[in-house]
Amino acid sequence: MSFTDLPDAEAVPGRVGNGRSRAALHLVDEVVSGGVRRGRGVPPGAVDLRRRLLSLQRAADGELRRRGVVQLPRPPRVAMPGQTVRDAFANLPGFPNLLRMPDRQRLQQELPMQLMGALGQLAITLRERTGRDVIDLESLQDLMSVAFRAVELRRNHNQGRYTLDGFGFDPEYTDVLMPLAKLVYRKYWRVDTTGVRNVPRRGSALLVSNHAGVLPYDGAMIKVALFEEGVDRHARALIADWFFGMPGLSWLLRRTGQTLGHPDDTHRLLTSGELVLVFPEGIKGTGKLWSERYRLRRFGRGGFVEAAIRAQAPIVPISVVGSEELYPMFADIRPLAQLTGFPYFPLTPTWPWLGPLGLVPLPSKWRIEFHPPVRTDELPVEAADDPSVVMRVADEVREIIQAGVVSNLMQRRGVFRG
Amino acid sequence: MPRQRVLITGISRFWGCELAMRLEADPDVEQIVGVDVREPSRDLARTDFVRADIRHSLIGKLVRALGIDTVVHANLIVDPRRTSARVAHETNVIGTMNLLAACSGADSPVKKLVVKSSTAIYGAEPDDPSFWTEDMTRRKPPGDAFSRDIVEVESYVRDFSLRQRDCTVTTLRFSNVLGPLLQTPFQALFALPVVPTVLGFDPRLQFLHEEDAIEVLYRATAEDHPGVFNVTGPGVVILSQAIKLMGKFNVPVIPPYGGALATAVMRRFGILDWPSHLLQLIQNGRVTDIAKLTGEFGYTPQYSSRETVEDFAAKHKVRDLLAEQSRYTYEKDLEEFLQRKGARGRKAVDLEVTPAR
Repeated sequence: MSFTDLPDAEAVPGRVGNGRSRAALHLVDEVVSGGVRRGRGVPPGAVDLRRRLLSLQRAADGELRRRGVVQLPRPPRVAMPGQTVRDAFANLPGFPNLLRMPDRQRLQQELPMQLMGALGQLAITLRERTGRDVIDLESLQDLMSVAFRAVELRRNHNQGRYTLDGFGFDPEYTDVLMPLAKLVYRKYWRVDTTGVRNVPRRGSALLVSNHAGVLPYDGAMIKVALFEEGVDRHARALIADWFFGMPGLSWLLRRTGQTLGHPDDTHRLLTSGELVLVFPEGIKGTGKLWSERYRLRRFGRGGFVEAAIRAQAPIVPISVVGSEELYPMFADIRPLAQLTGFPYFPLTPTWPWLGPLGLVPLPSKWRIEFHPPVRTDELPVEAADDPSVVMRVADEVREIIQAGVVSNLMQRRGVFRG
Repeated sequence: MPRQRVLITGISRFWGCELAMRLEADPDVEQIVGVDVREPSRDLARTDFVRADIRHSLIGKLVRALGIDTVVHANLIVDPRRTSARVAHETNVIGTMNLLAACSGADSPVKKLVVKSSTAIYGAEPDDPSFWTEDMTRRKPPGDAFSRDIVEVESYVRDFSLRQRDCTVTTLRFSNVLGPLLQTPFQALFALPVVPTVLGFDPRLQFLHEEDAIEVLYRATAEDHPGVFNVTGPGVVILSQAIKLMGKFNVPVIPPYGGALATAVMRRFGILDWPSHLLQLIQNGRVTDIAKLTGEFGYTPQYSSRETVEDFAAKHKVRDLLAEQSRYTYEKDLEEFLQRKGARGRKAVDLEVTPAR
């Protein structure tokens, strides 16, 4: 049978009455599919033929149905030879095109752009409707960049081809996390920073700050302040050695540039020209009760002054205001602290009653002031062994910080305002 | 300068053997005597092997009879997996004590003592300084027998150096050595398809390339460098990085608290034998300062910690081939066979075998 013998699709409506075309088509159908069913193999050209026939038949039937001439059952759609099952599924009506999902790489490239576009659109719409910025696009972009750079860093680091300094500091990793900390710095605690010109742009210095807030957020904020105010140097904070025994924190602290407050560590960092951040109050400072806020504790035993003189580095005192109001800690349960191995066990209105929610700090208003340096770098190295000099300088630094705290408290409009 | 007469303890093991091979090539070394209870694993050309146990006073006679002027104590067992704590204690502490007794006294010909020790002496606690220097000591006394032994051995050596003023005493604290033919705990760890790590910890570690280890041991033997030295590849590698470099994955299955129980389970099921002081190491890490070594020896290990792992990772892939290659150098059996067969047989084979000596 040759194809030319068959009627055209246009011609079919005219011959509806006798149904000859349908009969002819049916015959072809029988021949072709029957051949397949019996396993005799598909004759060459048969598949193509059948496909064209089916399309013709469908067109004809559609036309008939539209005109209301005849009620015909829809032809069954079956998988045809030469077609994969996957294609057949894709052709089924109403079947979602799941199997034709774009591949992973394209999705990774396109999805973020689509998401950003959608979010931008949403932000614009919301601004038009409400008249103010509901979604802060800038912050959003920061968050997105954190996610992207984290993925990128992961890809680079997956080969293991990177070198950390001996303390385990990974600047790239820290830079990835930085936008996140900057967001908190700008939006949550709305930190006002003054006096960064007192921080040397090169060479070592020992940054000394008051310490408070149950959890040591003040260290992170001082580090961010240096980047926000254009010093662009990583301050290496010295942390209580207790934290390095904690799972998770142990590596995160080192990866972001912290090390423990060992005299040898301090000396090493200072002599290699780093900015070192210390909290001489230590755990006594962070574990203060709410009623004792802004009252500085004893400044250790002056070890930080010794370290600064030995390494011939100046001391830059820092006053931080706002960090002391993060958690209204009204009691410290000593036995529980001993039981859990924590340095203190605070009770606040929310902790531990609300579980993890109790860990959310209050959005107090912060001020950070960097004071003019105390010139420990100009003292002779031998002075480090003279307790009278060391204690005098330690007291001097403490006085500067305490005075700075008081003056910044006066300048602040309110605990949460500003 | 008179030529050196060297006695090496632990000649059957990697350290003694490699050092002997290195010294054989040195014309300034007159005689090399290896002491061990087992035969050397490699064929040595001009090293005399004496089957003796350093736990017996026989060593003193040997030292005096041969006029040994340099003693290299390379027999310290730091891998507790293959030796029971009691045997290791006997070899390490009692053996060292005996060896030092043999070398001391006014009539002792020994003018130089080189002791192979380990950075395990520092321990691995979370409150450790970021860099250990040679003059620092750990705050807490060690909890396991092996670390206690090392502390004890070094204290004996220190006493000896105070007693024998005219003897140059060098103590080398080696970190984790990697080499394709060695069997160290870290290599067993890296050989696993997935590497178990401690949840929430990713410590800084240091590794030492085997070539550097032997080089430093050789220099300490041939030159005069009194004192204690940390020996390790420069720089640090964090555990997860080392595992990535090995092309493996880490699974944090060891809990941060009660990890000893987890390792006991792994040992029970034959997955990994991981001793407790090494558990602390993969939890808290340990980094030593090699400034003193670089300054005194004028030698910095050629492979950094990271390069050591990279080199090991590359060689680890072909370790079976490397092991076969090293087996070919073992000609001792052949030599003995030839000697037994007499001249005729010897002639026939001599054409094919390049003489080793």
